[in-house]
Amino acid sequence: MYSLNVVLVLRGLSSGSGGVDPNPGLAVPKHGRKETEEEFDQRYINYFNRKDIDGWEVRKAMNDMHGMDLVPEPKVVVAALQACRRVNDHALCVRYLEAIKMKSVGNPQIYAYIIQEIRPTLDELGISTPEELGYGEPELALANPYDMH
Amino acid sequence: MSLQVLHLPKGMKAMLLVRKKMMGSIGTVGCNEYHGRSKIGKREVVGFGLNGSFTYFDAPDIPMPAIRFREPNTEITALREKEKGNWKELTVDEKKKLYRYSFCRTYAEMEAPTGEWKSITAGVLAIVASAFWLYVLLKKYVYGPMPESTSLEWRKKQRDWMILWKVNPIEGISSKYDYENNKWKD
Repeated sequence: MYSLNVVLVLRGLSSGSGGVDPNPGLAVPKHGRKETEEEFDQRYINYFNRKDIDGWEVRKAMNDMHGMDLVPEPKVVVAALQACRRVNDHALCVRYLEAIKMKSVGNPQIYAYIIQEIRPTLDELGISTPEELGYGEPELALANPYDMH
Repeated sequence: MSLQVLHLPKGMKAMLLVRKKMMGSIGTVGCNEYHGRSKIGKREVVGFGLNGSFTYFDAPDIPMPAIRFREPNTEITALREKEKGNWKELTVDEKKKLYRYSFCRTYAEMEAPTGEWKSITAGVLAIVASAFWLYVLLKKYVYGPMPESTSLEWRKKQRDWMILWKVNPIEGISSKYDYENNKWKD
């Protein structure tokens, strides 16, 4: 399954503008195409809203966005959570919310704002935030492999 | 012509077998070796991860690794089936189990302070302290006596001679002495 996606990734933006971009994983659009923030958001929302999205693709888009210097807009987060629902993976949602919290580490209000904005989606889909699961604080500890003798 | 079995001494035979296996694995990489799939056991491949290889690691900047953390067993498979239904029916415990099935550590656990700085500081200070002790021992047992010219009396005498000879009269020691009144300037 993933080899198919490799082909799509390589084809990328050479098909020109227009149509659903099968590869939103490029941080800087090629060929000098500049896009506004709304276009960027819409590109990712369209990607997440695909009905046939795969778990692999959801994770790739999330990892790519995580690498960029931004915190995703609430509507992009909503689309991502709905994509997680489509692939039936609740742990992915919790991990994504934790990742957003880590991205907003300089300004904790951002995380609170995003949770507040996506609260309707969380309630509708039945997603627990990390704090509700008790993962706001460390629960288990892992021994440092360098300290094991 | 009948097939002749080649009898080799045991060591040579072993070498040939190893060589054949190596050649075999170089010439034909099974699809199970790509990206390390043969090393992950029954764990499910779910994503691209950092670079496409099937490794699990916890890193704050790669939230979704390429494989799940644990291998599926009956309990988890049943939970995954339940996950396909309404998530509101999952209890908190079940959600936590699902999380720990896919991931090893939570972000809070990844970024929790380890207290390593205390052992590092202790080690550094211990080494610095031992350096000071080394100096004390050297001074006591190794170094000979200091020369006479470093004693206080000698240095006082030396200072008086320097004033007499007007050493460094512009900005040095003699400039600080008032020759008319024969005393040190204030």
